[in-house]
Formats: sequence, structure tokens, C-alpha cells
Amino acid sequence: MRRNPLILFIGLVLVIIFGFLLFSFQVRKSEVVLVTTFGQPRKPYTEPGLYFRLPWGIQMVHRFDQRVQNFEDQLAEGLTRDGKNLLTSVYVGWKISDPSLFFAKFGGGDAIPEAEKHLKQVLGGAKSAVVGKHPLTDFVSASDNGTNYLNIENEILGAVQTQVKSSGYGVEIQFLGLKRLAIPEQVTQQVFDEMTKERQVLVKASEAEGEAEASKIKSLADRNAAEMLTKAEGEATQIRALGEAEAAKYLPVFQQEPDLANLIFRLNALEGTLKERSILIFDRTTPPFDLFTGNYSSGSTNRYGKGSAGSK
Amino acid sequence: MADKEQAVTPLDSGSQALSEALRSSFAVVKFVMVILLLVFLGSGIFQVKEGTRAILLRFGKPVGVGEAALLKPGLHWSLPYPIDDHQIVSVTGIQKVTSVAGWYAVTPAQRASGMEPPPTSTLNPANDGYVLTADENIAHAEATLSYRISDPVGYTFDFRNASNAVQNALDDALLSTAARYRVDDILRNDRIGFRETVRRRVSELADQRNLGIVVEQCTVESIPPRQLRDAFNEVLKAEVNRNIALSDARSYANQTTNKASADAQGKINLAETDRAQLVNEISSRAKQFSDLLPNYRQNPSLFAQQRLTETVGRVLTNVQDKILVPESTDGHPRQLWYNFNRELPKPNLDGQSK
Repeated sequence: MRRNPLILFIGLVLVIIFGFLLFSFQVRKSEVVLVTTFGQPRKPYTEPGLYFRLPWGIQMVHRFDQRVQNFEDQLAEGLTRDGKNLLTSVYVGWKISDPSLFFAKFGGGDAIPEAEKHLKQVLGGAKSAVVGKHPLTDFVSASDNGTNYLNIENEILGAVQTQVKSSGYGVEIQFLGLKRLAIPEQVTQQVFDEMTKERQVLVKASEAEGEAEASKIKSLADRNAAEMLTKAEGEATQIRALGEAEAAKYLPVFQQEPDLANLIFRLNALEGTLKERSILIFDRTTPPFDLFTGNYSSGSTNRYGKGSAGSK
Repeated sequence: MADKEQAVTPLDSGSQALSEALRSSFAVVKFVMVILLLVFLGSGIFQVKEGTRAILLRFGKPVGVGEAALLKPGLHWSLPYPIDDHQIVSVTGIQKVTSVAGWYAVTPAQRASGMEPPPTSTLNPANDGYVLTADENIAHAEATLSYRISDPVGYTFDFRNASNAVQNALDDALLSTAARYRVDDILRNDRIGFRETVRRRVSELADQRNLGIVVEQCTVESIPPRQLRDAFNEVLKAEVNRNIALSDARSYANQTTNKASADAQGKINLAETDRAQLVNEISSRAKQFSDLLPNYRQNPSLFAQQRLTETVGRVLTNVQDKILVPESTDGHPRQLWYNFNRELPKPNLDGQSK
């Protein structure tokens, strides 16, 4: 029978494809694969690519997710070196590194939760061991730049890694960190009380500081003011002295006839003091009232005197 | 071909029927083969929906590196399995995660409506998150991280749940940073420093772990425990009061110094005035003196008398009350009683009595 070459080609391609499907499998970047022959593990494949196999029924392909899995454990109470209760929980990034070991340990089905159960135990042990080696101030401290905190994380990581490796689970811990740090519920009340006290201290400090600072500012201002006034008074005295010195320059003028000078000054003083609202009481010897004594004339003499005396 | 066979060997009706059957079944097989091939080739067609991307895998390995590996939305064709395969991913735009370790328990509904659950007297660590600060205090803090995926291949194929891994890193950064900062620094004095340290630390962790992300933004909200809100507010109030007292004191100081400086200037001015007055007066007296001197020298006593009388006359016109006491006749000195009113007598009123 003569065949159409195109049909032949198609047939060939289909056979190849069918063969591929039957005799090969793909390993994705995100997977690791374990091939079993009649249930016996044969060979792990950890690199992505196309691989050959015997058909279904003879060889089975078990695929495992080899991406990093996130797992965090429960908060668990532990005692720090200085005897304080501290609750910690950690998270880890882990992945399957050796599918044969992993398969042997956890099987092919719900392997990941199974593995995490084991991981949880390992974590719990490592955590309490490391927490017990450190005082609380290694966890929380303003002074050490976080080195102790990192050390704690690294110590737990180291312990977990060692244990996981030695127990041959075929898994690998990529990273680990503290997810929660907490204190027992009953202790929170104490912490709150402490914090409240601290706040009260701050309130007091604020008040005291305010008062002290304010009175400092005020008294400084008062002092400055007083200084200014004293200085000004000094200056004023100096100015007046200058004035007097200037005035003294006129002394020679007055010295030509001191009697006249005295007369002028006294008269001016007299006039100056008796400007307004003054009551003046004379006797008759004071000029010009000595006229009333009859020195030069008489007549209207008594008028003022009488008026005055009459109202007495 | 059937014609040829017929030509060579004439067939009986039985074999003819068989040949017919074979021919038709061959046609069916041919048809099925073509369909199979088409289906096989067509199985490589896939659609990438809007808002998602796809990564093409050849023999299990991603094709392309970094963001170049992403196939845009639309229809795509790849070689069929087991040669090619694809993975749909949603890794575009800015991703966001929020820390969970440091905040009290609040349901999404409460959060959306802005309500908060009433505070309990203690914090149960199983429900309520918080951070421990460097001074062993408790505070609530919540970090929100916005990031871009710079290595979608790694983000997708190296981590089962990369955003969860980012969240863990964020919680770690928040917790470890809080453990280095004092509560007052976290809540008030150094919020920016705290936020920046969290941001730095989470970037560091993401790099160490090859999460394939770039941190775009990191915000941190922090509050004191709600149980202590009043106590914390008291501190704020006290600080406000302190500032008020200080600004009062400063304004008092300003006022006092300003007043003092004004007073001081006043004193100086007054002295200047006095000085000018004194000098003026003396100089005018000197002039008066010089003017009068020749007259005086002619007859000093007459001159003096004249001046006095003149002055007294002038003075008397100004004086309000003038009392002349006549000489007593009996030789005894006269007594004059004068009652000063407490109030100064007003002009034009009779302030004089007795």
C-alpha cells in the first residue's frame, strides 16, 4: 500500500509525541522529582529539564515542591538566663533538599505538613535552649545595636540546621527569624503599671522642668532689667554732673559781684516757688507791705489786714 | 490505489467489501491523526489575562531573565508539553504587605469602619500583637511595605509563598528594630529613625534571602498600648503646659527687659533734659547778671530793694491767698491759726478759714 508522505510524517510525529509522554517527564524549576521503580526509590532529580523514564506502572514520578516554604511555630514560653518568662515564636524558610531522604521519611502524599510537624519539634527544642542562654537584655537593648538579637537568631538557626541535617530529613533551613516576642499575659499588667509610673515621672519632670526653666528665665530678665536701670542711673548721674560742670563755667561771671548773683538767684527762687495755689502770710515789715506801717503814707492801709484778721 | 488493485486482480464481492471497509477506516484513522496533531499543537495556546503575566518554561527552565521573562496579557503559543510549559503569575505593579506581629487584635470589619475593639486590661499574646521596646516597654507598631518584584522568576519559582516570606521579613525587621529603640523614640522622638531602620533592615533581609524584590516604601504606625492612652496623654499635656509656662516666662522676660530699657532711656533722657535746663538756666542767669551788673553797681542797696519789691509784686499777683498780719498792739506776738484742708483748695474756692 502506498502511503501519503504527509500522513506518514504526521503518524511519525504522533508516535514520537506519544513516546515522549510515555517515556519522559519534565522537572520544573520549582520542583524536585524522585523516580521509583516498583515503589523502590531510584534517582532524585533536582535540576530542571527533560528526563527519561519507564512508562507508568513500572516507574513512578514523585514530584516535590522545592521552593522555600514558610513555616512559623506557635508562641512558646521559655525562661531567659536571668529568669524572666519570655514567649517567642520563630519563622523559618525551609525547602526540600534531598527528595530521596525526604520521600523515605515522609512519603509521597501529605509530606509537607508532616515535615512541618517534625520541624516544629526541632524548633521548640532549639528555641528554648537558646533563650535559656541569654538574659532578657540580649533581646531588648538600646545599647548594643541589635547584635545580640541577631546572634540569638543565628544561634537558633545554627542549632536547627545542625539537628535537621543530622536527622536526615532531606530538608534544609534557608533562614530563620523571630516572629514574635511577648511576655505572659499576667506580666503585661505589671509592665503597664511600670509604664504608667514612668509616664508619671515624665509628667512630674516636665512640670518641674517647666517651672524651673520659667523662673530661671524670669529672674534672669529681672536681673537684666535691674542692671539696665542701674546703668542708666549711673549714666544719668554722669550727665547731670556734666551739666553741673558746664554750669560751673559760669561761676567767674557771677564772681564779679556775688551779692548781685545771690540776689538774682534768690529772687528767681522766690518767684519759682510761689507760682500757684500758694498762701502767703506777711507781717507789715515785708516790703512792699511796710508801706502799711505808715512809712510813706496811710489811708487804705488796713484793708488787707482787716480782711485777713476778720476771717480769722 | 483502489483502481490499481482492481485492475490487477478482480475481486469477489467479499474482498471488495473488506477493501471498502479498510479504505473508510483508513480515512477515519487519517482524520483522527490530523485532529490529534492539531489538538497537540493547539495545546500550546494559552491566554494571559489582564493584570497577570506568564513565564514560559522550556524543559522546565524559565525562558528569559528578570522582567524580560514575563509574557504580556494576550494569546500566546508555546511548544506543547513536555517541551514547553507556562506559569501564570500575578507579579505586576506595587505589592503591599502589612506586618501582623505588632498590632492588637482587630477584625477587618472593625479596621474598615475605623472602630477599635475595647482594650482589655491585659494583653493576651495569643491574640494581641505588640512589640517589646529596648526599655522593656510594650508598644503597638505596624509596618506596611510597598515593594516591586524585580526578579519575577525567583519570586515565583524559589518561594512557595513569596509575599508571606516578605511579611515574615517585615515582622522580623519591625520586631528587631523595636527591640533597639526606646518606647519614647518609637512613639514620638525618633519615629523617622525608627521607620528608616525598619526599612533598611527589611531590605537587607530581602536581599540576603534573594526574595527578588525592591522596597519602594515603608511606613510604620506606632501607638502606646491603648490601656495606657491616658497616661501617655498626660505626658503630652504636661509638655504642652511646660511649653506654655516657658513661653509665658519668655514673654514676661521680653516685657520686663523692654520696660527696663525704656525706663533706662527715660532716666537718661531726663538727665539730659535736666542738664540742658541747668545749663540754660545758668547761662540765662549769667546773661541777666551781666545785663544787671552795671545798674547794680550804681546803687546796690537801692537796686536790691527795687528788685525785691518788683518780684514780690509779681509773685503776689500769682498767689491765691494773701494774709497780712498786723502788728499786735499789746506787744505780744499774734497767733495765727490756719486749718489746712485735707484736699488741696481748688482755684477760686475759698480754701481759707480761721
